[in-house]
Amino acid sequence: MAPLQKRALYGLVIGVVWVIAIVVVFIVKGGVSTYSEDTGFRLIMAGLLIGGLLAYSIMMITTLRKSGQVDERDRLILGRAPVVQLWAVFISLAVWSIALTEIYWDQGQIPVIFPYLVFMSLFIVNVLAQSLGILIGYWRGGKP
Amino acid sequence: MTNAARIRNRIRRLRFDHDEMTQEELANRAGCTRQTIIALEQGKYVPSITLAFQIARAFGVTLEDVFQYEETSR
Repeated sequence: MAPLQKRALYGLVIGVVWVIAIVVVFIVKGGVSTYSEDTGFRLIMAGLLIGGLLAYSIMMITTLRKSGQVDERDRLILGRAPVVQLWAVFISLAVWSIALTEIYWDQGQIPVIFPYLVFMSLFIVNVLAQSLGILIGYWRGGKP
Repeated sequence: MTNAARIRNRIRRLRFDHDEMTQEELANRAGCTRQTIIALEQGKYVPSITLAFQIARAFGVTLEDVFQYEETSR
């Protein structure tokens, strides 16, 4: 397994655990209503999000900077990962939009806290989709 | 009728001819990862012209001794 592929796999596994942790904390602490009222809770969630993103970025940067770990094929695969990221973000946004519209159709308005949650979730999806895109690239063998 | 092009290589054969050079050794000499050599040998990846020259140089042969361009009519 190529070093970048290994990192992408670890990134995906750790990322899924990170997402589960965020969702569990979110639900245990009281969900959307608490999130919109409690500033401390919002800070905890922001901390989890930023901490996870930093850990992922450091992991990817250290892999890319180590000489001999990444070659032209790896860079080609890495360069194609944004296609998967784009689709993942697009699909997530579509799911959020349809779900929120259908749920809050009768009220005629969506609670103001949701755009914030949508933004956070899309950030997470974007990061996870990069790892997924890299793994798909290796699975396809670097073919165009 | 369309023309389909394919790049074939003799890397596995050349490694055998060079005292069973390992994939790792070739990768180190050519400046790529072992996984790329594996992908090349399996015909799953076509290298850049730079890497192709580096592989040929690692074997001490010309580019066309390693890579062959084939065009077939379909």
